[in-house]
Amino acid sequence: MRSNDSMTRRGFLRGSSALAAAGWTAAGAGWVLKPTWANAAGSIKMGIATDITGAIAPSGNANWQAAQLAVKQINDAGGILGKPVELFLEDTASDPGTAVGNVRRLVQSAQVDVILGGITSAMREAIKNPIVRRGKTLYIYPQLYEGQECTEHLYCTGPTPAQQCARLLPYLINEKGYKRFALPSANYIWPQLLNKWARRVIEENGAEVVMEEYFPLDQLEYSATVGKIMSEGVDHVFNTVIPPGLQAFMKQLYEAGYYDKGGQTCVYFDENSVNYVAARELEGVYSCLDMFHTIDDAYSAQLISEYDALFPDTKYLFSAGSAATGMYRGVKLYEQAVLATNGDLARDATSAAMENAAIKEGPGGPSRIIPGTGHAEMNMYIAQSRGGKWDIISSETTVPPQECA
Amino acid sequence: MDDAIKLIFDVMAFASIMVLVVSGLAVIASLMGIFNLGHGEFVLLGAYTVFLFREWGLPIWLGMMVAPFVVGAFGAGVERTVIRRLYAQPVIAMLATYAIGLIIREIVRGLIGGQYYAIEEPLSGSFQLGGISFSVWRTVIIFATVATMIAAWMFLTRSRTGLQIRGALENPALARASGVSTPKLYSVTFAMGAALAGLAGALMVPLFSLSADLGVRFLVQAFLSVMLGGIGTFIGPVAGGGMIGAMVPGFQWLREIPGVAEQVSPVMAEVLVFVTALIIVKFWPNGLFSAGRR
Repeated sequence: MRSNDSMTRRGFLRGSSALAAAGWTAAGAGWVLKPTWANAAGSIKMGIATDITGAIAPSGNANWQAAQLAVKQINDAGGILGKPVELFLEDTASDPGTAVGNVRRLVQSAQVDVILGGITSAMREAIKNPIVRRGKTLYIYPQLYEGQECTEHLYCTGPTPAQQCARLLPYLINEKGYKRFALPSANYIWPQLLNKWARRVIEENGAEVVMEEYFPLDQLEYSATVGKIMSEGVDHVFNTVIPPGLQAFMKQLYEAGYYDKGGQTCVYFDENSVNYVAARELEGVYSCLDMFHTIDDAYSAQLISEYDALFPDTKYLFSAGSAATGMYRGVKLYEQAVLATNGDLARDATSAAMENAAIKEGPGGPSRIIPGTGHAEMNMYIAQSRGGKWDIISSETTVPPQECA
Repeated sequence: MDDAIKLIFDVMAFASIMVLVVSGLAVIASLMGIFNLGHGEFVLLGAYTVFLFREWGLPIWLGMMVAPFVVGAFGAGVERTVIRRLYAQPVIAMLATYAIGLIIREIVRGLIGGQYYAIEEPLSGSFQLGGISFSVWRTVIIFATVATMIAAWMFLTRSRTGLQIRGALENPALARASGVSTPKLYSVTFAMGAALAGLAGALMVPLFSLSADLGVRFLVQAFLSVMLGGIGTFIGPVAGGGMIGAMVPGFQWLREIPGVAEQVSPVMAEVLVFVTALIIVKFWPNGLFSAGRR
C-alpha cells in the first residue's frame, strides 16, 4: 500500500487502490460507495467531505475509513429502518478554497441527507455555510476544536477545550511541576481560541505563559522561536502548530536539544502522528483525547480490530486526534437520530432528533449530544507517548463539552 | 554569545538553502536571459528523485548524489525540445517554462497521491559544541552549498567552457564565428541550472517534507533574490539569494530585541522580507550587485 502499487497508477489518489478494492466507484469528481444490497424505498445518502490529499491527508484518510467502518456495520445489520446507507466522498484537499466547490457537489448533485467532515477549523469555517445555510443540510463536524461553534444544524462530535484541557493543564502544572509555558501556534482560529483557554487555565494554576506566537501555516523556518524556547527557560511547549509547518518545527525543536530540557503537549497527537513526524520527536509528548488504542475498553478494542481487519494494509489508524473517533461517533449518532424520526430524513426533523441522540457504546466509551448545545459528552483520557505507545495516565467518564450552553 | 553563534548558524543554514535554490535560477536567467518559471518544479524533481530512491529501498544519500544528474539530464531535454525554439521570444519562453513547471508539478502530485512525505536525512540528529546544539544536516547543507558555489563559480569564470558560455551570451554571432557551438553551450548551461535546482531539492527535502508544492514555496522568494541581486552575473543573484535567505530567519530573530516582538508578529516578519526586498529594488532597480556590469 505504501507506494509501489500507486507508483504505476498515474494521476490519481493514493487511496484509490483501496477505494476500488472496497467497492467504491468514481462518480464525477467524487466517489460513491454503494451498499451491497438495496431497498425499493431508496437509501440514506451520507456525504463525507474530508482531506484525502494535501498536508493533513493522514488524518483525512483515517476519517473516511472510519466512516466506512461505521456504515459497513450499519448496513451489515440491515441498515437504518431497512434502508441502506450510501456513502459519497469528496476530497477537501487540505485547502478550504478547493473544498468549497467539492462540498457544494455533495449538496447540489448528490443531494445527500447529511454531511460529515472537515478537520481543521479553517476548513469547517469554509464549508459550513455551503452546507448548513445555502445547502440547508445537516452538518456533523468530527474533529477536536476550539469551541464556540454554535451554528444551528451543526453538531460537533469531537472534544472541546474544556474536555481536553480542563484536567490536563492542571495535571502538568501541579503534578509534573511545569511552570513556564510556550504556546507556538499556527495562525488560525483553532490555536488562537484554544490558547486563550489554555492561558487562563495556566495562569489560574500559578504557572506562566512565557511566549505565545502565531506562524503562517506553511512556515519553514523556526530557528528564532526555538532559540527563544531554549533561552527563556521554557519547561513546557503547548504545541498547536499543524502540518505542513509542524514537521519543520518539531525537527528544529528536537535538534536544538529541547527534549532533554522540558515537556511538550500537543492535543491532536495520537497513534496517527507518526505519519507526520519522526517517532523520536513524539517521545514524551502529552495528549488528551477521547480514545487511545491503549485504553481499557472492550468495545473500543473491538472497533479497532474491526477497522484493522477492514483496512489491513493501511498506515492511517483509527485514532482520536485525526477525528476518526468523532467521525464514527457522528455516523452512529446520526443513525440514532434517524431512528428517532422514524425514518424522516428531512433536515429539520433529523436535526431536532440529533439534539437527544445518544450511543451506549462507541470509541472511548458512550456519548450523547447535550440538548441545546450541539456538542457531545464523552470519556476523556490523558496520555503520554512512550516508545511508540500512548501510556494512559488518567481517565474521566462522561466529560461535558461546556459549549453553547 | 551563545545566542549570537546560534543566530549566525541559523541564518547561514537557511541562507544556504536559498542560495542553492537561487543558483540554478541565476545560471539560467543571467547567462541565457530565460526566466525559468518552472525552476521550482526542477527543485521538486530533485526532491522526488530522493523519494524514489527511498521507495526502491536504495540509500537516501545515493539519491541525493544522483538527483542533480537526473534533473540536469531532464533540463537538457527540456532545452532541446522546447526552450531552444524560443530564445528570440523571452516572454513566450517564460510562459513555456511555466507550463512545463505546471505539468511536472501535477504529474508529481498524481504520482505521490497528493500526500506529504517525510524524508529522513542520511545524517540525522544534532551535535554539541560548546554547550550549543547544532543540527547535523543543516551543517552538511552549509558546507555543501559553499562547496557547490565555489565549484560553479570556478567553472564559469576559470574553465574554458565557462568562458565560452559567457562569450556566447555576450555576442552569440562572434562566438559562432569563432567556432563555438552555441546551441550545445546553451544546452549545457540550462542543464547546469537544472542540476543545481535538483541538488537544492535533494538536500533540503529532509528539512521539510516532500509535497507537490515544495518548489512553489520557494519560487517567489527565488525570483525576488534574482531581482535583488541583479541579472547578468552568476554572483549577483546568488548573493541576492543569500540576503533573502538570511532575512527570513533574521527578521524572526529581530523580534528578540525588547519591544519588537509586540510590534512584529512572525506573520509580519515574513511580509517584511518582501517589503524590504521591494524597497531595495526600488532604489537599485538593476539589483545590488550589477553595478558596472552590462
